[in-house]
Amino acid sequence: MIQMRGLYIFIAVAAALVTVFAYVASSTRRAHDIDFHRAYAVRKALFFALLAVLATGLWFTLGNTPYPRDNEIPTNVVFVVGKQFSFGVSAAPILDDEQYQAATFAEPVDVPAGALVEFRVTSFDVNHGFSLYSPAGQLVAQTQAMPGYVNRLRVRLGDPGTYTVLCLEMCGMAHHRMRGILYVK
Amino acid sequence: MDVTIDTIGWTNVEARSWRRMTLVWGLTVLVLLPVLVALGAYMRMFQSNVLPSVAPEWFYAVLTLHSLGMVGAWFVGTMAGISYLLSKYTRPSLAVARFAYLGTIAGVVLLIACTLVGRFGAGWYFLFPLPLYAQGVWSPWATWTFFAALATLGVCWTIWTLDLLRAIAQRYSLGTALCLHYLAGRTAPEVPPMILISTVSLIANIAGLVAAVIVIALFGVQALGVDIDPLLMKNLTFFFGHLLVNVTMYLGVAMVYELLPLYAGRPWKTNRVVAMAWNALLFLIFFAYFHHLYMDFAQPTWVQTFGQISSYLLSIPAAVVSIFGTLALVYASKMRWRLASILLFLGIMGWGVGGIAAVIDSTVEFNVRFHNTLWVPAHFHTYYLMGVVLIVLGFIDHFSQDVSKAGEISSRTKWTVGLLVVGGYGFLAMFYWGGAHSVPRRYAVYPDEVAQGALYARLALAFIAVLFLGIVIYLWETGRRCLKGFAS
Amino acid sequence: MPQRLRVVTARPAIRRARQALASCLLLTLAGRVEAQSSMGTASAEPPDEAAYVYKQLPDVPVLGAGADTTRLSALWQDRPVLLVMVFSRCAGTCSPFLRSLKSAVSEAGGAGSAYRIVVLSFDQADTAADVEAMGANAGIRPNTGWVFGIAPPSDIRRLAEATGFWFRWDPTTAQYDHPSMVVAVDRGRVLRMLVGATVSGTELSEIVQEFGGKFVPAYALPGKLAFRCFEYDPTSGRYSLDWGLLLLFLPGGFAVAATMSVFHRASSRVHRDAHVRRETGSSGAGSAS
Repeated sequence: MIQMRGLYIFIAVAAALVTVFAYVASSTRRAHDIDFHRAYAVRKALFFALLAVLATGLWFTLGNTPYPRDNEIPTNVVFVVGKQFSFGVSAAPILDDEQYQAATFAEPVDVPAGALVEFRVTSFDVNHGFSLYSPAGQLVAQTQAMPGYVNRLRVRLGDPGTYTVLCLEMCGMAHHRMRGILYVK
Repeated sequence: MDVTIDTIGWTNVEARSWRRMTLVWGLTVLVLLPVLVALGAYMRMFQSNVLPSVAPEWFYAVLTLHSLGMVGAWFVGTMAGISYLLSKYTRPSLAVARFAYLGTIAGVVLLIACTLVGRFGAGWYFLFPLPLYAQGVWSPWATWTFFAALATLGVCWTIWTLDLLRAIAQRYSLGTALCLHYLAGRTAPEVPPMILISTVSLIANIAGLVAAVIVIALFGVQALGVDIDPLLMKNLTFFFGHLLVNVTMYLGVAMVYELLPLYAGRPWKTNRVVAMAWNALLFLIFFAYFHHLYMDFAQPTWVQTFGQISSYLLSIPAAVVSIFGTLALVYASKMRWRLASILLFLGIMGWGVGGIAAVIDSTVEFNVRFHNTLWVPAHFHTYYLMGVVLIVLGFIDHFSQDVSKAGEISSRTKWTVGLLVVGGYGFLAMFYWGGAHSVPRRYAVYPDEVAQGALYARLALAFIAVLFLGIVIYLWETGRRCLKGFAS
Repeated sequence: MPQRLRVVTARPAIRRARQALASCLLLTLAGRVEAQSSMGTASAEPPDEAAYVYKQLPDVPVLGAGADTTRLSALWQDRPVLLVMVFSRCAGTCSPFLRSLKSAVSEAGGAGSAYRIVVLSFDQADTAADVEAMGANAGIRPNTGWVFGIAPPSDIRRLAEATGFWFRWDPTTAQYDHPSMVVAVDRGRVLRMLVGATVSGTELSEIVQEFGGKFVPAYALPGKLAFRCFEYDPTSGRYSLDWGLLLLFLPGGFAVAATMSVFHRASSRVHRDAHVRRETGSSGAGSAS
């Protein structure tokens, strides 16, 4: 799970940093002059080490974006409209308020498990955050629902079950109650 | 107390006025701190479901006040500190400082009115076009009072920023203030790092504030019926929001460069690397905000890639120059560990810890899972609470001891620091844990899918209590010293 | 095999002859046709791309003028396809539509190499030669990636159903009512649809970009927005900077200008250099160092 990987990387690096700070703080008990040329040498080493770490990080992560680049064709397209305070999720395009209302009350959309699904996401009023929560309550993908634009999010939903759409951009008093449902079968 | 009449030429009366001005700023921040922390605690209570009978719109109104209050309080805290420290080298205008104070107070009053009375709840960066879609929760007067508050603050702070730059300009040319001669290999004239960092931060700050003014103006245009591009508004909003927060952090770091050497007994001088680092930051700082828009697919992909690269690059000068510099300054020095120096040192550490979380979040691959979850408040609260807040508290304590000549009691210092660190990091841990478990940020009530968020909020409350105790001891000790300072 | 299928090979001389023949045919056939089949629901609303996007198209046989038969799948197997449906007796939009498509295709480029254009007649009365003659009439040069043909009526129906296409015989005009549309097909799936009597080169370029695997992660909805940041240019596949971006540069520009003017004003005063030379021994206005 990518979130936990992020958390562990954070804890490891932060722990290393805190250790260094603690070590430096404790070093003041044995005060002595330091050779600044050595300190500069360490700084140089730190610079190159950090550069290497960041370059590696970029190398491995820059390709893994939610913006699809490959030549795959989705099998399903799901239309999503956010509006204060619900998500209309539909297999048919949602073009106006009426269709949006219908979509919020309609039976949830089914998509096949493991299939590449394209979500075409927009908003009819303010910015909303379209996010997909797996049946286990884990955030699997998101894109902004912005008025005036359609964002296309392509994602494979592997685990079958009920996925919840929550809003991840504060949109007013019932922001936390905005939702939509999607079945993965 | 003896007042130095130095080459800058402050008279006794002027020097006394500066001390008083700084004390007033310090005390204002010290009054705001517990109030704003209490507002934060209120939100965590809300999320813990212990306030079931309160309408959620209050959560969002309090959220707006808490966030803007905190962003504003620590911005003025660092600006006041920098003004005071700059007065060693230059002559900032006392009249402008007073004007900024009055303007800030006026802005705060308007903010309290529009949020706590008008229930305005669009968040501190009021993402377009939410303020115009109140759904009957807040009335138009609240919206326009909010914008009036922002405009007041924006104008005052711009003038304040320009005055500090003017003060620097009286003594240094632009090239000298930016230490460009160090880049060319010359070390004369010697320029203190604080001047360099302040110049860089203040220039960036003007850009941020101007962007805020443009955003407000475009809201006006939208209200007149011309549809504004929401993508442009998002770019401008995060440009200004990110800059304001970033600049606050950098001004805090500038204070550390100036103050920590006094405790370490070693000089911290500008050199070529320091000059390079901060000039690079002056360039990169304008592009870092792109990482707020990763989830806006309408933004071209190359902008997103550039955003990740520049966010990564920003961490290099911070780590290699400022954090490493702090460590080298303190390492094996005859450090006087006092409340002020401990807070400054820990503040830099907190900046570093928050920076690590920020770099992770600025990775698009992680951002798609972390964006607008609790991971986001986790990392910026680390910067703020464990970074710039500690630095400003360190400065205020340093200053209070300086003017009151009252010393500190080391056992109380230990308690203060211990409680702040345990309470602060414990409180943050709940944010990080929540973020890693997909709990969204800015939710008044957690729905079933993320119901565990309520538990984390409850645990956070326990840590906030510890943190609050630390703040209380700090306020009691340092606050009293500040009050004594007025007698000087 | 797609390679073996006869694409248009008409030379100018025979093209004219064919045109004449086609006109004759049209006149003779018009007299004979009475009850023509209709298909789908006629609607004032054009088919909506969104409802058909990514749907699989049926694989139908395509009969060329030289009695060559291939299948659509053979055509879309190695490169994407732009599919259009017309009928040769059309007195209305079909010919202008083909001409418009032709110029859009030449604007977008890549015909033949990056994709094929398949023109099918939905009229049972048409022969492949009729359709080919239409192409010649529209000035489409041979060997340029265009394929003209017909398909069995049942297959035409399946194809129409899968793309939202419809046609209805109107006895009063002795013409079919039908929409004009281009269906962009990638590996058998509907990628995009352009609906309208004229095909814009820009839109077609966008499709060609998508054929090349270029994914546009977002698109702007129609409607006027002031100050856009970026404008997507499908011809080049790049984003160009729009006026709104100026507003984004304004804060930075203002900061630089303000800084310059502040420092410039101060530099005209005398005391700066004096200060620089003097070392300060104090620690600030209010400090008690």
